[in-house]
Amino acid sequence: MDEATRTAFIGTEIGRTTVVVERSAVSFFAQAVLDDDPIYNDGTVATAQGFAGIPVPPTFPFVMQNWGAYRELQPADGNGTGLAQVLGALMANGGLILHGEQAFAYHQPIVTGQTLTGVTVLRDIYVKESKGTTMTFVVSETTWSDEAGTPMATATFNIIHRI
Amino acid sequence: MSETVNLATVKVGDEAPVLTHTLTRTDLVRYAGASGDYNPMHHDEPKAIAAKQPSVFGHGMLSMGIVGTALTHFVGVGTLQTFSVRFARQTWPGETLSTKIVVTAIEDGVVTFDVRLHNDAGEEKVLGQATARLGA
Repeated sequence: MDEATRTAFIGTEIGRTTVVVERSAVSFFAQAVLDDDPIYNDGTVATAQGFAGIPVPPTFPFVMQNWGAYRELQPADGNGTGLAQVLGALMANGGLILHGEQAFAYHQPIVTGQTLTGVTVLRDIYVKESKGTTMTFVVSETTWSDEAGTPMATATFNIIHRI
Repeated sequence: MSETVNLATVKVGDEAPVLTHTLTRTDLVRYAGASGDYNPMHHDEPKAIAAKQPSVFGHGMLSMGIVGTALTHFVGVGTLQTFSVRFARQTWPGETLSTKIVVTAIEDGVVTFDVRLHNDAGEEKVLGQATARLGA
């Protein structure tokens, strides 16, 4: 991918997904990250702690687009394929994609029953050459907001393509 | 659940209870299903070996998720403000992984933690930082 193509992506929206935060998905995910806190499996525990629904484990926002992203919920201008296009262009000549870093900022508690929209913006894309290896760094940021537009969480995804 | 830490008593240098777990292939399959990440490197041994890996290996986000569990048990659900990590090494089935979470700063009600996941040989798998706004 040449520099002009890369630069053209920076700051652009590369994906938009609407999801329902569902109880079974949250409960299953908590088990998978070895979290036995009853709050993920018992609505009365969540209510007693002041949550409007069952809260989600801290890394759940990373996987939300894989759960409850029903077709009729998707925005008419939706485009969930932007990151796939960037990665597809990078992988056209092979190579390996690695997850370099991951960050979350939490604004409001995400709880089951909410319908959230995640908007992904490409924050940066740059190349480093080292010992005959070309590494392309791609930084994308997804902000999840509720139906009133209140931001709930921001997830920053840094990936490295190495060839 | 164990008692969570609070602002009145927390001190720089305090450590969260350690969460230790020996990774199995079943853990990887469960995380694949729960996350929707079906990259074959995490569940398909012949494909992983064909890609010159010794075996399947863990999702980076499973490592971060385990750290997140230990962190949440310490600070309480809903108190985290930020949580970020760098993925330093792959994790392998059979490895015993342990969390290390240390308080590094306390300012204006916000507590900062250094967070890590390492194996028994001390190799770090993920390392990063978190901040939480704790109750009094």
